[in-house]
Amino acid sequence: MNALRSETPQSSFAAFPLRAPVAVWPWPIALGLLTTFGLLSALLGQHGIWLLLSWAALSIPLIVTVICLIRAWSRPSSKGGLS
Amino acid sequence: MTNRTLRHWFVVHKWTSLVCTLFLLIVCVTGLPLLFSEQIWNTFVGDDDPPYEVLPPGTPNASLDVIVEKARALYPGQIITNVNPDDDEPAVLISMAPSWQALKDDENYPDRSSGHWIKFDARTAKVLEQSRPADSPKEPRTWTGIIMGVCNRLHNSLFAYLPGRLFLGLMGGVFVASLVSGTVLYGRFMKRLPFGSVRRDRASRLTWLDLHNLLGTATLVWATVVGFTGFVNELQTPLFGLWRVTDVRQILKPYANLPVPSQDHLSSVQAAFDTAGKAAPGNEVTGLSFPGASFGSPVHYVLWTRGATPLRARLFTPVLVDARTGELTGAYPMPWYLRFLEISRPLHFGDYGGMPLKILWALLDSVVIGVLVSGLVLWAGKRKIATDARLRALGYDLEDAKDTPVSVLTGEGAR
Repeated sequence: MNALRSETPQSSFAAFPLRAPVAVWPWPIALGLLTTFGLLSALLGQHGIWLLLSWAALSIPLIVTVICLIRAWSRPSSKGGLS
Repeated sequence: MTNRTLRHWFVVHKWTSLVCTLFLLIVCVTGLPLLFSEQIWNTFVGDDDPPYEVLPPGTPNASLDVIVEKARALYPGQIITNVNPDDDEPAVLISMAPSWQALKDDENYPDRSSGHWIKFDARTAKVLEQSRPADSPKEPRTWTGIIMGVCNRLHNSLFAYLPGRLFLGLMGGVFVASLVSGTVLYGRFMKRLPFGSVRRDRASRLTWLDLHNLLGTATLVWATVVGFTGFVNELQTPLFGLWRVTDVRQILKPYANLPVPSQDHLSSVQAAFDTAGKAAPGNEVTGLSFPGASFGSPVHYVLWTRGATPLRARLFTPVLVDARTGELTGAYPMPWYLRFLEISRPLHFGDYGGMPLKILWALLDSVVIGVLVSGLVLWAGKRKIATDARLRALGYDLEDAKDTPVSVLTGEGAR
């Protein structure tokens, strides 16, 4: 934030890194499919292995979120993220 | 996508989110204790029921007719309204009232209730417990009861009964629209950022935006499912009403004007349970209401049956047994919209996969609260920028100008 203060809007805009486009959707789709599977496997299976799979599948989005947060906050100036 | 359509999506996301955020925060927060209500009651209030008599395993249940007779003998001259065997305990609950008319009159007096119940041991037909008489001093309310009651009513209806329910249902629909538009915006904002980036070396507004995107994506499907099933649940009163005025009215038409027979001359309750079990094969009978009950038939026992497999256990099928003759009138599977409602309930409550699923539900709910809060921070920040810009346009000299470049970066299309 302090870095921006000394710069004019134009120069900060130029300094904005022009990254190559990345594939936006693979991660959201994977997490969405895992959630869907987790919700349905417990509902339709209701027993044993299906319950375990459901708990595992629904945990993954939460675990991924926590990993991203830890990575962002542990590296002082990084862009974070999973590539 | 052109900037024009992006701008439209942004406006949709902003306004749908603003409209429903406050109410969603309320339901997200009150939903947390409701998720664990069973555990909370057991921990703070406890169960003071006497333990069940220990009988050799395989002891058959007493005939429901014996239990019904005992209830009648305890309150001669009163009517029985419902017979409900307990789901997981060897108990049968008999509900009684002075008359159908007395029950109907109760509706005009919120603090009066003439109905009462007796709990019998299903195997020995002994009385286990009775409801407190209406004229006895009220049981002191516990803190747990007050807090859970407030949470429940806020979560269901904002203390506003049916209008509140419909309003919250509407908010659920708006929430789904906000999720869809948010997903479209996500695709645009994340074009050059790897998934899960949280930029902390730039303006704090970008950190909030990245957090909003990350938490939102992680919970997108869960929030959509719980939001949509919540919406369906809030529609239950009109959906059941629709069924009542269409199918139910059609079925009951030939009997609608018959007088309610005296309860001394009705056929056997136990036989009605057996008949209903045969009429809906594979289903178990969960309860019976006597002829004359509101929304029922004047001359039929209405029996509720449900499937025995875990999924089908949520699908109820009513069975009508003629209480004058004991003969089966028919089993009536519910229409598709009520089956859909019944299937969607567990997906809202998260009560179908043990304690770990409830804990996951609570964690996902907390993440959604994070999405709502970060969204509010972004909106409030944007308002400040807009206000500053207006003030500057009027010629005021504002000291801190650090937010300006950020508004250029993150506010594309945000008019």
